[in-house]
Amino acid sequence: MSPIFLPVVVLFPIFGGALIPVLPFKNRRQMMIYIESIVILNSLMALAVLLNRPEDEFVLLRFTSNLTLSFKLDGLGTVFAGLISALWPLATLYAFEYMKHEEHEKFFFMFYTITFGITMGIALAEDMVTMYCFYEMLTLVTVPLVLHTLTREAVLAGRTYLYYSLGGAAFAFIGVIFILVYGTTPNFVAGGVLDLEKIGSRTNLLLLIYVFCFLGFSMKAAMFPFSGWLPKAGVAPTPVTALLHAVAVVKAGAFATMRITYYSFGTEFLRGTWAQTAVMIPVIFTIVYGCSRALKETHLKRRLAWSTVSNLSYILFGVTLMSPLGLTGALTHMVCHAVIKICSFFCAGAVIVQSGNEYIYQLDGLGKKMPKVFVIFTISGMALMGVPGLPGFISKWTLVKAAIDSTHPLAVVGVAALLISALLTAIYMLTISVRAFCNKNSEVEPGMPPAEKKAAYEEVRDPGWMMLLPLVVFVAAMFVIGLHPQPLLDAFTQIASAIG
Amino acid sequence: MGIWILLPIFLPVIVGILLLLPTGAGAAAGKDQSPQGDLEGQNSQGDSGSQAHPSNGVQESWRIRFARMTGTFDESPESLSRLHTLTAAALIVSALLALAAAWSGDVSFTWFELMEGIPVYFQIDDVGRLFVTVISLVWVLVCFYSFVYMEHEGKERRFFGFYLIVYGVLVALSFSGNLVTMYLCYELMTLTSMPMVLHSGSRESIMAALKYLFYSMCGAYLGLFAIFFLYQYCDSITFTAGGTLNLALAEGHTGILLAAIMASLIGFGAKAGMFPLHAWLPTAHPVAPAPASAVLSGIIAKAGVLAIIRVVFYIVGADFIRGTWVQTAWMTLALLTVFMGSMLAFREKVFKKRLAYSTVSQVSYILFGLSTLAPTAMEGALLHVVFHAIIKSVLFLTAGIFIFRGNLSRVDQLEGIGKKMPKTLWCFTFASLALVGIPPMSGFISKWYLAQGALEANIGVFGWVGPAVLLVSALLTAGYLLSVVTNGFFPKKKETGGHLTVHAAAAEAGNADSRETDAADAVAARNAGQAITADAQETDPLDGITEAPAGMLIPLAILSALTVLLGIFPNPLIQFVSKIAAAVL
Repeated sequence: MSPIFLPVVVLFPIFGGALIPVLPFKNRRQMMIYIESIVILNSLMALAVLLNRPEDEFVLLRFTSNLTLSFKLDGLGTVFAGLISALWPLATLYAFEYMKHEEHEKFFFMFYTITFGITMGIALAEDMVTMYCFYEMLTLVTVPLVLHTLTREAVLAGRTYLYYSLGGAAFAFIGVIFILVYGTTPNFVAGGVLDLEKIGSRTNLLLLIYVFCFLGFSMKAAMFPFSGWLPKAGVAPTPVTALLHAVAVVKAGAFATMRITYYSFGTEFLRGTWAQTAVMIPVIFTIVYGCSRALKETHLKRRLAWSTVSNLSYILFGVTLMSPLGLTGALTHMVCHAVIKICSFFCAGAVIVQSGNEYIYQLDGLGKKMPKVFVIFTISGMALMGVPGLPGFISKWTLVKAAIDSTHPLAVVGVAALLISALLTAIYMLTISVRAFCNKNSEVEPGMPPAEKKAAYEEVRDPGWMMLLPLVVFVAAMFVIGLHPQPLLDAFTQIASAIG
Repeated sequence: MGIWILLPIFLPVIVGILLLLPTGAGAAAGKDQSPQGDLEGQNSQGDSGSQAHPSNGVQESWRIRFARMTGTFDESPESLSRLHTLTAAALIVSALLALAAAWSGDVSFTWFELMEGIPVYFQIDDVGRLFVTVISLVWVLVCFYSFVYMEHEGKERRFFGFYLIVYGVLVALSFSGNLVTMYLCYELMTLTSMPMVLHSGSRESIMAALKYLFYSMCGAYLGLFAIFFLYQYCDSITFTAGGTLNLALAEGHTGILLAAIMASLIGFGAKAGMFPLHAWLPTAHPVAPAPASAVLSGIIAKAGVLAIIRVVFYIVGADFIRGTWVQTAWMTLALLTVFMGSMLAFREKVFKKRLAYSTVSQVSYILFGLSTLAPTAMEGALLHVVFHAIIKSVLFLTAGIFIFRGNLSRVDQLEGIGKKMPKTLWCFTFASLALVGIPPMSGFISKWYLAQGALEANIGVFGWVGPAVLLVSALLTAGYLLSVVTNGFFPKKKETGGHLTVHAAAAEAGNADSRETDAADAVAARNAGQAITADAQETDPLDGITEAPAGMLIPLAILSALTVLLGIFPNPLIQFVSKIAAAVL
C-alpha cells in the first residue's frame, strides 16, 4: 500500500474531530452517526494499512535535513496502532451512551476524536522528533478531557496531569537531543542507533541520559514516583478513563519507553549496566505499590486506576528486561491489559451511570440488579489476576518466561513481585464481585430516606445495547486471546526477534 | 476416543451453569405487569408458581419455560423436586461417565494448545483414578444428603449449581495431565467452591469465604511460582512417574529450584491446611452448609494433596529433594501441623470447628507420609486420602444432622444426643473410631503404613519423631472425638426437675386458657404457652429432637459402613496404592 495512507490515518480523525463543533448537526443522532463513521472509517483504513504494510516512509514536513516529521510503519508500531484502532470505535459507541447526560458534548467528542489521530501519530512515528511532537500534543488535547466536568476536583486533576506530563516530556526531550547528537540516524532502528565511536568514553553519561529519558516517558505510564496523576485523573468521564487512562495515553508512555530502549539506545548498549538496574528497581516497586494502593482505595474508578498503575509497570518490567523475550512479554501484556482494563472500566462506568454509586461499599447487592455487567466485571477481574484461559495468564507467563531467562539478578525479584501483585489483584477485584453478588443491599446512599432509597435501588438495571455491546465484544476478545494466543505471540516474537 | 474425557467434566459444569442462570421470573413480571411487578417478582411469584403464568396472554420466554422444566423457576415443592431430580440425574450420569473413563484404561487427550508447548492436556493414570473414584463416591452420596439438608439453608438452586460445577472441575483436576492444566483446574476449583462457603450470605460467611479465597490464591500463586521455574528446567510439564526434571539444565540453579519447590509445597499445602497457610480452614469449613463442609474437608482439601503429589513425584522426582533442606522443612511443617491441629481441635468447643481442626491435623498425616519419600509411607498416605475423605464426610454430615434437627452446634449441647438419635451417633462412632485408628477400622491400616513407612525411611531423627507425633495426635483425636460419643450415649446426670415444672406449667396454661370463650385471649395465651415451651427448649436443647430423616441417614450409613469395610477388606486398595508408590519411587 502507498505510504500516503500513513499520514491520512493520523490526520483524518484530527480534522474530522476538529469540525465537530462547527458542523450544523440537526440533532444528537446526526452527530453520533458523523463521529462514529469517522472513527470506523479511520479504523478500517488503519487496519488496511497495517495488513498491507507500506515499505517506505512518508515525510510530512522537513524542518532541516535530518529533522523531519515523518511516518513509517514497523512491527512495534503495528501492534500499538492495531490496538488503538480496534478499541476506538467501541469506546466511542460506549461514550455516546455514557455522555448522554453530560454537557459540552461536542467539545468532548472533538477532543476525543482528535486524540485518536494523535495516538496513531505516536504509533506511526518514524523518528524521535515526530514521536516527541505527537507525545506533547497528546498531553495538550487530553487535558480538556480531564477538565471536562469543570468541577474544582477536575481542574486540579487536569493541572496535575499537565504538570506531570510536561515535566516528563522535558526529561524525555534531553534523551531526544542526545540521540540526535550521538546516533547514526534520528530514525528508530531495531537494535538501536547509537554510534559507539562518537560516544567514546562518555558511556556513563549516555546511560544517565537513558535513565532520565526512561523516567520521563514512564511518567505517562504512571511509574512510581510519578503515578499520582493517574488516579486523580479518574474524575474524567469514564470513556476517557477507560480508553485514554488505561490504554491510549498511558500505553503511549510505555510504547515510548520501548522505542527508546529497543530502537534508540539499543539493548546491546544497555543490558547488564547500572542503568538497567536503575530503571528496574522503580518498575518492580511500582508493580507492588500500585496494587497495594488499589487495595486501599474505596472509590471504584480510582481503584481500577491504581490497578492500571501496577499493570503498566508489568509492561515496563518487560521492557527493562532488555531482551527479545522481554519485549514479547511487554507487547503481550500491552494488548492483554488493554482489553481487560478497558472492559473493567466500562463495567465500572456502566455501574456509575445506572446506579449513581461510585464507591465500592455502595455496590452491595447490585450484582443481582445488573447481572450482565457484574458477570463481565468478574470475568475481567479473573483475567486481570491471571486465571489460565484468559489473557492475563498468557501475558504473565510470557513476562515470567522472559524474566527467568534473563540473567539479571533482579529478574527473580520481579517474578515474585508479579505474583504478589496477582494475589493483591485477586483481592481487590474479587472483593468487588463478592460484594455485588452476595452482600445484601445495606446502604444505597446514606442520606436518602428509606422509601426513596429502596425505589432508587430497585430501578437499577443493566444498561442499553450501546454500553453492553462493547462489553460483550471485549469479553469475547478476552476468551479468544486467552484460549488461542499463539498467532498473537508468534507475531510479537517475530517483531521482537528483529532486536537481536 | 480421548475426547470422551471431556464429557464428565462438561456435563456437570453445563448443568450447573444452567441452574445458576437468572430464572427470568423477575424479567417476565417486569414485561407483563407494571414495573412494580419487577420488585415483587421474585417474592410473590415464588409463592405460587402456577399463578405466575402471564395472565394477559404474553408468550413465555424460552428462559421461563426452561426454568419451569428444570425446577429453577421458583421455590415451590414441585419445582424443588424437579431441581433435585435434575441434579441427581446430572451428577449420577457424570459420575458414571467419569468412572467409566477412569477405569477403561490409560487414555490421554490433548484438547488444544494454550500456548506453544503448553497444551491443555488430560491423561488418566492411577493417581487420577484413585482420586476420581473417591471424589465421585463422596460427591454422589453427599448430594443425596444435601437434598434434605438444604431445605434448612434455602437457596438450593445456587447451591446445587455450584455443587455440580465443582464436581466437573474436580474431575478435570484429577484427570489433568500437565502442570498448567492442573493449575487451571486448581484456580477454577477455588473460584467455584467459594460460593458454597458464603452460601448463607451472612457477614461471617462472606468474610470466611474471602479468607478462603485469598489463602487459596496466595497458595496457588506460590505454586505458580514453582511452575514457572519447573517449566524452565524440566524436559516436559507432562506428568511422568518419576519426574521430568532435567538435571543437566538445572545444574547451577539448584538453590532457586529448591526454593521454588518449597514455595509450591507451602502453596498447594494451603488447600490441604498445612501450616503456615492453614488459618483459613477452621474459619471457612464450619460456616459452609454441612454438606459443603463435608466435601470441602473430605475432598477439596485433598486437591492440595493431589497437586503436591503431582509436583513432587510426577514432575520434580523424589530423588531431587531427598535429603535436601526442602524435605526436612516439609516434614517439620507437616508434623507441626499434625500436632497443632489435634491440639486446637481438642480445645475447640464448636463442633464443626473442631472437625475442621481435625482436618488440618489429618490431612497433614498424608503430607507427612508423602514427605518421607518412602514407598510404604506413601502407600499409607494414599490410603489415608481415601479413608479420611470418607471418615471426614461422615463426621461433618453428622454435625449437619445435629444442626438440621436441633440447631446444636456446640459440643456441650450434644450431651445425651445418643438417646434421641442413636443411629446417627452410631455412624459417628464408627467414623470416630476409624479416624483414631482402632483396628479393624480403616484408619488403622493407613496409620500403620504411615508409621511403618516412617520407621523404614532413611530420614534420620524424623524416623521416630514422626510416628511419635502421629501417636500423640491419635490420642488427642480419641480425646476430641470419643468424648462426643461418650457424652452422647452416657450423659452426665442433669437436674431435670426444673424443666419438668416449666413444661407442666406451660402445658397447663395452654390447656386452661383454650377453654376460655374469648378466642383472642386463647390465642394470646397459647402463644404465651408456646413461648414458655420455647424457653424450656432452650434450656434443654434436646427436647423434641428425633432421629434424622432417612434421606440423610442412608448416605451417612453407607459412608460409615465403608469406613469399617475398607478396614476389614483393605487388600485390593493396598495393592492399588502400592502400584502407584512403586511407579514413582
